[in-house]
Amino acid sequence: MKKILIKLLGGEKLQMVRISLFSIIISLFVGAIIFIAMGKNPFSAYGNLLQGSGLLMKQKYAGRQNMFTDFMSFLDTLTPMIFAALAVAVALKAGLFNIGVSGMMLTAGFIATLTVGYSSLPAFLAKPLVLIIGAVSGALVGALIGWLKYRFNINEVVSSIMINYTLMYIFTFFINTFFLEPTSRQSIVIADEARLTLVNVKAFGLKFCIPLAFPLAIIVAILVRYLINRTTTGFEIQAVGLGKKAANYAGISISKNMMLAMIISGALAGLAGVTYFCGYNASIRPGVVPSMGFNAIAVALLGCCDPIGCIFASFLITAISNGSIYMSSQQGVEIEIADLITSVILIFAACSEFLRMYIEKISMEQNDKKDVKRV
Amino acid sequence: MIDNIIIDGLAFALPMFIMAIGGIYSEKSGITNLALEGLQGFGAFFGAFTAVLLMQQFGGSSQVPYYISFIAAALGGMLFSLVHVLLCIKFKANQVISGVVVNILAAALTSFLTKRLNESIFGKTSNKFVLGTSIRFSVPGISGIPVIGAFFRNVYPFEVIIIIIAVIMWYVMYKTPFGMHLRACGDNPHAADAAGIDVNRIRLISVIISGGLSAIAGMSYAYSITANFSPDIYLGFGYLSIAALIFGNWSILPTLEACLIFGFARSGGQALIQQLGMPSTYNDIVRIIPYVVTLLLLVFFSKHNNSPRALGEIYDKGKR
Amino acid sequence: MDSEYIIEMKHITKRFPGLVANDDVSISIKKGEIYALLGENGAGKSTLMSVLFGMYEPDEGEIFIRGEKVNIVSPRHATKLGIGMVHQHFRLVSNYTVAENIILGAEPQDKLMGFIPHVNIKKANQDIAELSDKYGLKVNPTAVISDLNVSTQQRVEILKMLYRDAEILIFDEPTAVLTPQEIKFLLDIIRGLRDGGKTIIIITHKLEEIKSIADRCAILNRGKLIDVLNVPEASTEELARLMVGRDISFTSEKSEAKPGEVVLKVEGLTVCNEVGYEAVKDVSFEIHSGEIFALAGVSGNGQNELADAIAGLIKTKSGRIILNGKDLSSYSIRKRTEEGVAYIPEDRHNVGLVLGFDLKKNLSLKEYYRPKMSHNSRLDLKAMTENGERLIKDYDIRSSKGINTIVRTMSGGNQQKAIIARELELQTPLIIFMQPTRGLDIGAISNIHKQMIAERDRGAAVLLISLELDEVMDCADTIGVIFDGRINRIAKASELTIDEVGRFMMGVGNRGESA
Repeated sequence: MKKILIKLLGGEKLQMVRISLFSIIISLFVGAIIFIAMGKNPFSAYGNLLQGSGLLMKQKYAGRQNMFTDFMSFLDTLTPMIFAALAVAVALKAGLFNIGVSGMMLTAGFIATLTVGYSSLPAFLAKPLVLIIGAVSGALVGALIGWLKYRFNINEVVSSIMINYTLMYIFTFFINTFFLEPTSRQSIVIADEARLTLVNVKAFGLKFCIPLAFPLAIIVAILVRYLINRTTTGFEIQAVGLGKKAANYAGISISKNMMLAMIISGALAGLAGVTYFCGYNASIRPGVVPSMGFNAIAVALLGCCDPIGCIFASFLITAISNGSIYMSSQQGVEIEIADLITSVILIFAACSEFLRMYIEKISMEQNDKKDVKRV
Repeated sequence: MIDNIIIDGLAFALPMFIMAIGGIYSEKSGITNLALEGLQGFGAFFGAFTAVLLMQQFGGSSQVPYYISFIAAALGGMLFSLVHVLLCIKFKANQVISGVVVNILAAALTSFLTKRLNESIFGKTSNKFVLGTSIRFSVPGISGIPVIGAFFRNVYPFEVIIIIIAVIMWYVMYKTPFGMHLRACGDNPHAADAAGIDVNRIRLISVIISGGLSAIAGMSYAYSITANFSPDIYLGFGYLSIAALIFGNWSILPTLEACLIFGFARSGGQALIQQLGMPSTYNDIVRIIPYVVTLLLLVFFSKHNNSPRALGEIYDKGKR
Repeated sequence: MDSEYIIEMKHITKRFPGLVANDDVSISIKKGEIYALLGENGAGKSTLMSVLFGMYEPDEGEIFIRGEKVNIVSPRHATKLGIGMVHQHFRLVSNYTVAENIILGAEPQDKLMGFIPHVNIKKANQDIAELSDKYGLKVNPTAVISDLNVSTQQRVEILKMLYRDAEILIFDEPTAVLTPQEIKFLLDIIRGLRDGGKTIIIITHKLEEIKSIADRCAILNRGKLIDVLNVPEASTEELARLMVGRDISFTSEKSEAKPGEVVLKVEGLTVCNEVGYEAVKDVSFEIHSGEIFALAGVSGNGQNELADAIAGLIKTKSGRIILNGKDLSSYSIRKRTEEGVAYIPEDRHNVGLVLGFDLKKNLSLKEYYRPKMSHNSRLDLKAMTENGERLIKDYDIRSSKGINTIVRTMSGGNQQKAIIARELELQTPLIIFMQPTRGLDIGAISNIHKQMIAERDRGAAVLLISLELDEVMDCADTIGVIFDGRINRIAKASELTIDEVGRFMMGVGNRGESA
């Protein structure tokens, strides 16, 4: 058993990736057991998840729908998740936990909705403006958290919690008081011109949505990766995250880089906010903190805190949640089982560091044994 | 009006307080606990399910399910807190991440199980366990006194349960050997270890206690504010109680003050808004108060912030 | 069976990977004596006592306590046997009172209403006040630890042992952190404890203290027991000679120094440590180009603070640091590096290296932002790689995956080589070597010494700060001796003998002359 583990997960090459994959496989296995316990075939259930996300062909489609339309809807939900996971990952690179992604998303979504969403600007102006406003407002919240950290030494986790709820109630108040759509109990829907997703596009005899920001998410992920791995700024942020004392010794400013990381993280969370509230959705539900901000923490972890890893991790988690509706209707099981599988994956992801250390330990033990034999 | 402020304020503050005590237990032993939100939710789920089951047995008017549901909730919360224990102590996961993951799991698991159980046991499709609001009682005599009497009027029975438990928990924390060991573990686990204390065992017990106490809070909310168990129980009260314990500087009595301030600010604001004839949406402005005040407190008194020194540190015996 | 000795450790051997910390050491300690363990850093004193206190299990050997053979498995077990230890790093709960700390884990309890457990803090306060009076410890049981100074905290640790009825008290370098007055007070307390029937073992490398209080003294060197002396019959010189030992000496071949201009000039430098204590007091010295200035001293006499202050890691309180005529005192760390300060820090794990970075990045930690390795803030990975490859070759840095190795996984010696390579590559006029050879094997040590001398010959000013006397004697052109934050002797290496330096290190010597 130990030997197999070492073979599979030992060594440094892409070790974190292999450990992530390992946790995913174990989780899917656990999920399969749940399905079996409920008397369902796990393979067809997992197949349904993929079908629901447009990654596998369904047996039949309603009018104007096919695998492509499903896939586009999937990309629509994937986009904000990628941004949110990137936001967490960048902060983690500097050794900070950004629990405030939710609040930043709300801020970005709310401000963009108010300023552009309810305006009558033409699309070519409105859409870029939504993105810019989203990024800037998220960055401001990030700056606030970073500033509280380095100026007053307030733990970023604590300040994030306070700020999340403060912002949530402020926006809830404004929405409920001034911008409420009475029937949906959500904020008034924004103008299509401002929306980052083109909905109900009719072409090739199909009806689908186009998440305009999806390519941006991929580009931004690549840019973030470039920033982290290829620039002096990224070098400094990573040095601060991995060893504060050593970074200081090398003449790198700890406070400046923490602040910077939180601003970048905030901007990314802002982009997640606008792609979620002004893209995937067109309105904001008052009174709740978007759970995506919290899920993103674990998704980033699953993605080994690497921007490209974040894309894949977001892909997996979103595929499960997005495909769950179809799976639920096909299998006749509760839709929540998808969230359950997701959280099991996240639990294993949280243990990945332990697993890495455990592998290190047992492989050293094995080496010792070999040494003894040689003697 | 003042009477209502007191009555509603207490009904909100006391569950918050018991949950914050749970948080204090965990954090004073050195384990960061963002999982309170999930623990109260899971506890409420477990208690509510028990209550619904028992209500069938005892009939609607019996009070037995009510009291048993609190015991069940506490057990459920303790059970679920083992996930946090496992991640933080056994698997040495980062405690912040573990807390977040536990919250995600709690939300997913309880909504899944609620639906499932409703379908398989009660044969209906619902994501709720309907409980109704708890009965209330007034202490004869005292409750007639103006203003002060309000503290004894329309009291939920769980408020009494909470006060009793809170007194016990205060005593255990500050007067018993166990409490002494617990607080030592959160400040300097090496000192505790040197004194022959099993640090991880103390932390395990502390987190389990926090699970039980949070669950009682969750159950209380399920019997008052929401009147049922549903995914709506995850309103962020767990995070609010974290604000309360930070405000209370990780000590039980100041945390009680914080909870009372939060509770009365909430009920007082509500009453004021009603009085002024403003729309109820203005209540949300009032709800900001606890968070902003806590944040300001941290800004202005960050030097006096006495968070446990070893909070969040993984304790490894070998490391010195 | 009654034995003359309360403790007998027989043929104790304790090995660590690549190191024999205790090599067949046997000591016997009489009841009611003060027994000193003397030796340099790394001589094995602390390891031997850790074995006695149950923190390590010996690989070979036996321990007898009060004549009975015991196998001490844990500190808790040791406590039960009546052994107590005051560690160098105190184990105190900072927000607890003195009494709470002392009773922790052994609380006096009573039962309220017959069944509710309750810590009887009143009784504890009384008991501790009495105990404190009895031994003249002057500790207030209700004071909170974080309000107390180091000396008082130490006495709390002593009370902790006494409260648990310890008969054998081990002190691990108890005076390292104290002021002279506090030391005197502590030594009086220790005498009082002995007179009260306790057996005392004290680990130290301060000869003065041993002469002052110890009855007998065991001298360890590199894991071996050298000798056991009756202190009243031994001279300080004899102790110093035995402690330093002359058996091993790695003489580096070194040409005559050709000192040039003054490169570094430190004037009246005073530096406070983290807790606000003046760790460096009004220190002045200068180093010339082409000169190795070695600062000798016992650990904790202000060396770290001095080095950190010159490199800019901590702020100075007063005084000037002048490099090639420029006052660096107000410069940032980076600016000092650019002006020409290279620094090999003592803590290679937390300070010298970013452990989670790979070797390539660590080797460019000080130059990544310069045009050499980046253009318009874009890292030139090719240049970084080339730099890394070249340094690995030039400095013989060995690792499993070359420049892509995560440095955490590298051996200590190679980690140190990496730091040295990076710093020497800066080709700065001043290089600070802080404990550069600690924990390294002989081959690595002599290599580092060669490099240091080569830098000197290049014309650099070298500041070597070392706890190893041999190293100082071997490499220095000029020797300064630091004691309690002051440099109390500066002289040409050729004018000092090792015994003299040793004496100044212990603060013996001509103290009256100290600057």
